[in-house]
Amino acid sequence: MKRQIQALAVILVLGAGKLPVEEVATCYLREAKLLTKPISISLRESLGQASFAASLGGLRSLVASITYLRAYREWENINWAKVDSLFQITTRLQPTYFNYWDEASWHMAFNAASSYLYNQEINPMLRGKLYEEHVQRGIDILKEGLLFLPDEPRLWNSLAEIYERRVHDPKKAAECYLEVFRISHNDRYSRFAGYQLAQASDRESWVKGYELLKTAYDKKQRPPSVIDQLKNLEERLNIPPLKRIPDTRPQMEIQHGEVGPSR
Amino acid sequence: MPDSAPSPPAVTVENLTKVFKSGLGKQAFVAVRDLSLTVEKGEVYGLIGPNGSGKSTTMKAILGLLSPTMGKTTIFGKSSTEVESRRDVGFLPENPYFYKHLSGLETLLFYGRLCSMSGRDLQDKAREMLMLTGLEDASNRRVAGFSKGMLQRLGLAQALLHEPRLIILDEPTAGVDPAGSRKIRDLIMGFKERGITVLVTSHLLEQIQEVCDRVGIMAHGRMVREGKLDDLIAVENETELILADASPDLLAEIRTLAESRGAKWIRSGHSRTTLERLFLESTEEPKS
Amino acid sequence: MNSNSFSPARIWTLATATVTQLVRMKIMAFLVVFCVIVVAAGFAFPVMNPEQQLKLLKDVSFGALQIFSVVIAIVSTALLLPRDLEDRTLYTILSKPVPRYEYLLGKLIGVLLLIGAGLFLMDIAFSAVLWLRQSLVLAQSVGALKQEGVATPEAIAQLTEFVGKQGLTWNIHLGVLAIFLKASIIAALSLMISCFASSTLFTVVISLLVTIIGHGQGLIREYFFSEGMNQIMKKLGSAVLAILTPDLGIFDVLDNVINGEIVSAISAGVMIGTAAIYVTGYVLVSHLLFVEKEL
Repeated sequence: MKRQIQALAVILVLGAGKLPVEEVATCYLREAKLLTKPISISLRESLGQASFAASLGGLRSLVASITYLRAYREWENINWAKVDSLFQITTRLQPTYFNYWDEASWHMAFNAASSYLYNQEINPMLRGKLYEEHVQRGIDILKEGLLFLPDEPRLWNSLAEIYERRVHDPKKAAECYLEVFRISHNDRYSRFAGYQLAQASDRESWVKGYELLKTAYDKKQRPPSVIDQLKNLEERLNIPPLKRIPDTRPQMEIQHGEVGPSR
Repeated sequence: MPDSAPSPPAVTVENLTKVFKSGLGKQAFVAVRDLSLTVEKGEVYGLIGPNGSGKSTTMKAILGLLSPTMGKTTIFGKSSTEVESRRDVGFLPENPYFYKHLSGLETLLFYGRLCSMSGRDLQDKAREMLMLTGLEDASNRRVAGFSKGMLQRLGLAQALLHEPRLIILDEPTAGVDPAGSRKIRDLIMGFKERGITVLVTSHLLEQIQEVCDRVGIMAHGRMVREGKLDDLIAVENETELILADASPDLLAEIRTLAESRGAKWIRSGHSRTTLERLFLESTEEPKS
Repeated sequence: MNSNSFSPARIWTLATATVTQLVRMKIMAFLVVFCVIVVAAGFAFPVMNPEQQLKLLKDVSFGALQIFSVVIAIVSTALLLPRDLEDRTLYTILSKPVPRYEYLLGKLIGVLLLIGAGLFLMDIAFSAVLWLRQSLVLAQSVGALKQEGVATPEAIAQLTEFVGKQGLTWNIHLGVLAIFLKASIIAALSLMISCFASSTLFTVVISLLVTIIGHGQGLIREYFFSEGMNQIMKKLGSAVLAILTPDLGIFDVLDNVINGEIVSAISAGVMIGTAAIYVTGYVLVSHLLFVEKEL
């Protein structure tokens, strides 16, 4: 009996003593990016969901793969609601894997939206509405993913593409491209932002776009589109002739490694 | 060990009491109550009693497998709570089992290593023990296929492997056929000749009486009788007389003589062999 | 102190006997199942993009590794002690001059040797398949680049680097180390539980429960430490759970290792150190429970 009491005492003392050790170890491994930092509790849907994910332990990744495969199958069946809900589980299980967010939003904003838009069986009014809703869903997914991965250039790039091609909101697209540029330091994205700002309707954006493109031009990044856009903006902004770029097309230079994020 | 100091007995049990606590609301069970006994060196001591009389509990306490509620036990002067006290003991539990996946030889090597034996010595000793217990043919067979008697003999081999000075046998003849139990008795006699102390329990009185120097009889956790076997079983006022080839006339004469001297004739008749002896005689192969 | 009060040789004898016992119980048949799973995961899903294929292979393989290690850790440990007791093998072992803690250590080390060896073999099989798959994926992708006429040396180098990061790296073996550490803790925990449990089933169920809670222990701890909680019962409950269960979440680095995060020497040290604390603690408690256990 004495030994049992000793055993219980050791369990309790060690159990309490280990808590700070666990805290330090967890923090260290989070700093080392080996463990995922949880976002603040208010952002989680519920503690129950988080604890479910946690209880899967190291099998989260595997379960995520399985739900991903199921989503893939539902995509083949063109069952968009199911694709969305399965991707929702997948991203919950592994929120730090950018590809799940990216693919989830791509399915919604591009595949599902277009599929509804061109579906002849649906009333045309409704089609437009469904299109917009699914594009918005794609945007929401990416925004949620960016809460977990704020420095993931590929997610910002995808968000930019949705604003550019699906929403036709060049200012927002430019903001996103600038985020990609901020993280990746790849000048190409600064130019993309410039193109987008040139498409905007207000003068302020044009000025900003002009600055971005002129900087690129001055860095000797002079593909035809930069030159075309610059000339266009020079007209619109009434840049004095002396400050304008010359008419002759200089040799184009591309820096090594300027390939975008692969998809 | 210096000769001057009186060497301690092989086993002492002093005022041993063992109470098993059971679950909440149930009564505690007293398995052994204030038991004392001493086994001297070189002696064969038999502890007999019906099932549940506390024999096995006493043995477990001696071996340190149980801790006494009260009292203490020693082996060669060392308290049973010390691991060191088990260096000189070989134990054969009732119906022993071994790792099924090991062969007979592997089993002995395993136990030998636990006794810090190794190398050539261990190999030789293990084979010797298999020979002694008649298991040499089974040395490479998995224990899973052993019969009860073979397990018992392997148990003995395991207990003897490290040449202990004390051997504790718990119901060594239980469930073994008469030939096997004869063999075990012969082995016990052999130990005695080699000066090994033996403590043996049994609930079968007959099997034990041939080999024991002293016996203790237990019932309900207490020692009821203890002493030298001859003293315990001799009927003081009776005498046995066994004759061969005596004619009826001679018998009548003896009877008359006896009665004329004041003795009471109780019975006469043919000696009976025991069923066991009959079994052994008819099943044993004739020696060449 | 007596010369034979602690003997590594005896512990080793007990450990190797435990390994042989488990091996002859055909536990390693799992290895064959594992290889089939890995090969299937490596080649059965050709429709996805290369990165997904490699990720899926890693997910499935590591999932199988985890299941193997946790199941073996719980079940074999839970089986060993009661079985020895039931078969009375324990009597013959402990009636030899074997201290009880050596017996416990021998059993635990035996289980850990088995899990370690199993993980090692599975790691080799998995690495081979991953390397093969990675080479195939790379060859296919380079082929595709060539068809499109954009197979510049830079593009190929970038692709090689990218696939390399998703493929076989030394880092992946450190992920396997994390799995082993987790299994060690679970085995030590099961050993402790089996020292007072009344049945094998009890040990298995409780160990499994603690293992599951242990994965969410970080969350419980966070909840306990968080400010502004006024429900005393909840707070007390979370404190008890946090104290009684190990934080197995610390070893769940696999997700991120699969994503290509690097396990530094210090990170590995942090995990090994934490695991050592748990294992030592559980062994100590097991010893206290077992040293005077009535057999």
